[in-house]
Amino acid sequence: MTTYEPRDVRPGIAALAERLRAALGPDSVIDDHQRLRTYECDGLAHYKVTPALAVLARDTAAVVETVRACAEAAVPFVARGSGTGLSGGALPRADGVLIVTSRMRHIIEIDRENQRAVVEPGVINLDVSRAAKPEGYYYAPDPSSQQVCSIGGNVAENSGGAHCLKYGFTTNHVTGITFVTADGEAVRLGGKAPDPTGYDLLGAIVGSEGTLGIATEVTVRLTRLPEAVRTLLAAFPSTDDAGAAVSDIIGAGVVPAAIEMMDALAIEAAEAAVHCDYPGGAGAVLIVELDGPADEVERQFEEVERHCRTRRAFEIRIAKDDVERALFWKGRKSAFAAVGRISPDYIVQDGVIPRTALPEVLHRMTELSRSSGVRVANVFHAGDGNLHPLVLFDDAVPGEAERAEEVSGAILDLCIEYGGSITGEHGVGSDKARYMPRMFTEADLDTMQLVRCAFDPAGLANPGKVFPTPRLCGEVPGRHKGAHPLQEAGIAEVF
Amino acid sequence: MSGPDPAILDTLCAATAEHARPAEAGDEVDGIAPVFVAAPGSTAEAADVMRIAADHELVVVVRGSGTKLGWGQRPAKADLVVDTGRMDRVVEHRSGDLVVHVDAGLRLATLQDRLSPAGQRLAADPVVPPGAADAGTVGGLIATAASGPLRFSHGAVRDLLIGITVVRADGVVAKAGGKVVKNVAGYDLGKLFAGSWGTLGLVTEAVFRLHPRPVVSRWVVVPVDSTGVAYERLRRVLHAQLVPSAVELDRPAGATGTLAVLVEGIPQGVTGRVEKFLELLGDGAEPCDAAPAWWGRAPWQRGDVALRLTHRITGLPALLNALDEQARRHGVPVSARGSAGVGLLYAAVPGVAEPAVIAELVQVLRDRSATWGGDVVVLDAPPEVKAALDPWGPVRGVSLMRRVKDQFDPEHRLAPGRFAGGI
Amino acid sequence: MSEPAFDDHHPPSAALVGDCVHCGFCLPTCPTYTLWGEEMDSPRGRIYLMEIGLGGEPMTPEMVQHFDACLGCMACVTACPSGVQYDKLIEATRAQVERRHHRPARDRLMRRAIFGVFPYAKRLHALRGPLRAYQATGLSRWLRHGRLLRRTFPALAALESLAPELEPYEQVPEQSAAQGAKRGTVGLLLGCVQREFFPGVNAATARVLTAEGFDVIAPAGQGCCGALSVHNGREEEAQSFARKLIDTFEATGVERVVVNAAGCGSAMKEYADLLAGDPAYAERARGFAEGVRDITEFLVEQGSVATRHPLPVMIAYHDACHLGHAQAIRTQPRALLREIPDLLLREIAEAELCCGSAGIYNILQPEAAGELGDRKARNVLATGAPLVVTANPGCLMQLAASAERLGAQLKVAHTVEILDASIRGLAADAVGRSRSGA
Repeated sequence: MTTYEPRDVRPGIAALAERLRAALGPDSVIDDHQRLRTYECDGLAHYKVTPALAVLARDTAAVVETVRACAEAAVPFVARGSGTGLSGGALPRADGVLIVTSRMRHIIEIDRENQRAVVEPGVINLDVSRAAKPEGYYYAPDPSSQQVCSIGGNVAENSGGAHCLKYGFTTNHVTGITFVTADGEAVRLGGKAPDPTGYDLLGAIVGSEGTLGIATEVTVRLTRLPEAVRTLLAAFPSTDDAGAAVSDIIGAGVVPAAIEMMDALAIEAAEAAVHCDYPGGAGAVLIVELDGPADEVERQFEEVERHCRTRRAFEIRIAKDDVERALFWKGRKSAFAAVGRISPDYIVQDGVIPRTALPEVLHRMTELSRSSGVRVANVFHAGDGNLHPLVLFDDAVPGEAERAEEVSGAILDLCIEYGGSITGEHGVGSDKARYMPRMFTEADLDTMQLVRCAFDPAGLANPGKVFPTPRLCGEVPGRHKGAHPLQEAGIAEVF
Repeated sequence: MSGPDPAILDTLCAATAEHARPAEAGDEVDGIAPVFVAAPGSTAEAADVMRIAADHELVVVVRGSGTKLGWGQRPAKADLVVDTGRMDRVVEHRSGDLVVHVDAGLRLATLQDRLSPAGQRLAADPVVPPGAADAGTVGGLIATAASGPLRFSHGAVRDLLIGITVVRADGVVAKAGGKVVKNVAGYDLGKLFAGSWGTLGLVTEAVFRLHPRPVVSRWVVVPVDSTGVAYERLRRVLHAQLVPSAVELDRPAGATGTLAVLVEGIPQGVTGRVEKFLELLGDGAEPCDAAPAWWGRAPWQRGDVALRLTHRITGLPALLNALDEQARRHGVPVSARGSAGVGLLYAAVPGVAEPAVIAELVQVLRDRSATWGGDVVVLDAPPEVKAALDPWGPVRGVSLMRRVKDQFDPEHRLAPGRFAGGI
Repeated sequence: MSEPAFDDHHPPSAALVGDCVHCGFCLPTCPTYTLWGEEMDSPRGRIYLMEIGLGGEPMTPEMVQHFDACLGCMACVTACPSGVQYDKLIEATRAQVERRHHRPARDRLMRRAIFGVFPYAKRLHALRGPLRAYQATGLSRWLRHGRLLRRTFPALAALESLAPELEPYEQVPEQSAAQGAKRGTVGLLLGCVQREFFPGVNAATARVLTAEGFDVIAPAGQGCCGALSVHNGREEEAQSFARKLIDTFEATGVERVVVNAAGCGSAMKEYADLLAGDPAYAERARGFAEGVRDITEFLVEQGSVATRHPLPVMIAYHDACHLGHAQAIRTQPRALLREIPDLLLREIAEAELCCGSAGIYNILQPEAAGELGDRKARNVLATGAPLVVTANPGCLMQLAASAERLGAQLKVAHTVEILDASIRGLAADAVGRSRSGA
């Protein structure tokens, strides 16, 4: 019986390299050991695997060629964009090919009239907004890494961001893709019009973390720039106060573009890194941004301010221009990396809780931190309950890494206990596959993998990610009537 | 299968607290007479029912309130109708989190009534088919991915659905997503099931994200007497920064059309924006406190041919012109209505027209659809028309879709043939 | 098994390498990553190569190639939220490469030629005659557009194509007296390339300083600051230049040394690190470095007193990497330009991206430098400004050459030349130079 288990195909790699070099040109194929090592990890640097081969694709045809070669040689492949993912989603396979899209970075079209942009997957998120800005539009999903992360990576991870509270995630903004299936066929799904006939395959693909195939061209919705944007920074004595203010704001029916919270430790780190000059002595700061038609924004902004004051905000700053607004955000958006300034090592956690459980969960996290002696800084998208606890440790001190890992895991358990999720935007990747059974039953995971078996019966697309144990695609539930249609079509063998 | 097997009926009754019976007149699915009707009251009962169906190789069609049961191609067969009517709980409304967890058989109207006191709503307003009292159930909304005017500002049902519980063809219960808006753990099966027309499994529960109910809603309507004017006015609305909640076009056959804009929010803002829209839309634009009578309703009558037409925004004129041209050519009135700002129109052709004429009309539209960049789907039509054409038309990625179907329903027992590509 | 990449003599610091959290924020600001989209040609990738080098991987030609390809523009240092000191890392790495890596003969010759000429004003000066003669023949234009030279010796072609139209030589006197009320005395670094190829910039600097009330001392015997050497791993050579320059300026007794070449300024501000291991100079180097000021930095610190006359011209301001990234001087030149009545200032898209000049990079890596130059020139031209202003002689040459390659008219000038023109009340069309002399 054939299984998902990676086969040792290294002997075949040299032949594969030859074939791809001939087809794609020598500078598209990397097999030098040291160069390959620079691709060992993505943004989650504590998992490292040197790929057997890396291919820098220039276009869809190159991806098709590479995937087809992999499929024929039964070699697994992993797609990588800018390599900024925080769950090890682009962690290579030692026996596999890393397909890098960083050279596929043309913005093919900014189509103002249809409110769409068509881009290659290596295009940097922020560059889409930059290109659309002269037309009065932007691309709404804004992960904190938007200045570097790629659209292809965003599609794989269904990336969110601070403004997703109001505007939704990548999946709400992708209307079409060109997609290379695991057997190396390019398929166009959707386009500039909504609701392509048939199953919502786009919906299944966006967020599937590269386990179904590779997007090589992406059509995204562009959003009209708002008439007005107002941003305030409010400093509170404690996270409890800030959390209560968030509840009041949302309870009042205001849908801010973003509400972000940072606790004292996170503020300290951001301050050290980017000198964002947040108010001193704050136990928590909130960044609240409203956007939309000027009249509404003005009125609701007053309301937000009032709620902050009611909840003991001791200083409220209102951005007077784009420069100041950028400074408010700078502290927040560089917070993860900034923690490097206050701790030699740290784990960026990503969990979600129902927003109303925020105060309770924060207290339990404080308790967890106290009892374990592990410091935890907190940055979160408070509007939608997406927590980013930063668990600090020093790898040089024996035992600290393990303790931090424990605390980090316990935080995820808290999220599950309160009915939340083990990941809000970073993805499951390599890092959290083991937590999936805590959130989902075996039947849930088995059912999800039916999709995987449909798209990639041989299990070559980014194997080992998302699911803790792969499903054997031969084990289809129920009974077959006659030959399996895929078998009939010559697409798959019965395993 | 001929005649209800009493042994099977007994097991169905046992599984549903005696809510199973032989099918009778009125239970037909698009003209196909089923054998059994079972109404499970919970996900657990539904799982038992689906297992029984699997054991006895029954072909299953799921029914909510039946408002859209005739949509799509006529299924090849229907042994068992699973009626979701007893699964009608609001399982949990977490108003502070703007989230609601419901059973699939709950009527949308009931759900909105339950949410209203908290100042919240599910921002889905699927078109109401003719003769229907309301827009049907949550399950029907998900299965057909029907949408209405609010689609413009809040997306389709897929965009509001954050968690889903399904019973598979083999009776296994599975869930995906969860109760929080932001969640990327695992595959998003909700999206796959939204618009799957009951061909992948039985949706029993759903979790939705909610939105605050606007304090005031006002409309601005403007007559548009030509395709060109309609598109030009639409452009003004789309490129303005006035954030309408919906932009709908109504174009009755042989009469002047209307573009209507829904403005929602707080009174201080809405008043000003209505003023700006009046100015923007120019001559003939008028404010209204209530929706036009046609708002949110399908343009067809019972027995008509109902079309769903998608287009890129710039494709609107080409699409409308093609409809006009076909109407003239065949001498049949064609009316169109829908979310022009989204790129989704519904159109109606009288059902009395010759099936061959309709088939030709549909074929011509499909042949030209590249010019407006969308699909032409026959949602509903008299049986003889459905027999004369492929209601779904060509499907991109159909081989992947068949592979998905084969995984979820390898025996093809769930509404076989009802969906696109013969799925 | 070959030996590890680095030996114990100042290898790149493992602690500094460890500061990198692999977030990737540096990637889009890195010129070579922007060009090639390869991890190993990004700061993150290069730090990774240093890390595996520290871990025992040998110094292969492949590894060296990626270190060599770095422009040293330091845009990554600006972009890094974790505060990784890439500048220190790449300098240490380059020193190791220079000492331990055996380059092919052609590369060695090239480098020897460059370092035998560029840091020596006298030798550069000697080249002026032949260069002028050569430019006058028109041969240069033919060679520039022909492919022959480029194909046979690309580095030489780059050097040739960059050489500016020589302007009249203006010597800055050793002593210039303040006009009006005297506010102080400053030293002036003349630089090597600046002095020989852009003597007008030094003359303008001296005029602006005196107009603002400063006595200017420009020691005639001053040598090279060592910037080119230190940025290319020639540590000992750099140290020797630094010691001499410190001696020269100490002898004048000035507290402040004003610099108008960004690359020189940034190197001189790092003298404390360069000479930290030299007991005789460590302390003096620190004192000297503290007194180094970029001309714009100095003028903003002191405040303007000289009257600015209107200069109706549209200017695109280009941040020289060694001014913006290495010295974090971005607001000062803009503030000074905005003080000038009628002057319109335009920002350039992708401002953080290097123009490809980067010291001698355009000579050593001509293709990459050419692509970057074209990209920068296109962004500059897109502003609609006919004149681009920056703070480094290398950038001036690169921008002018790139614009010419694109067939566009673009004048270039140093910031201080604009100030000088305004203070002297010159006509707008009198500022800036274009490469072809057209």
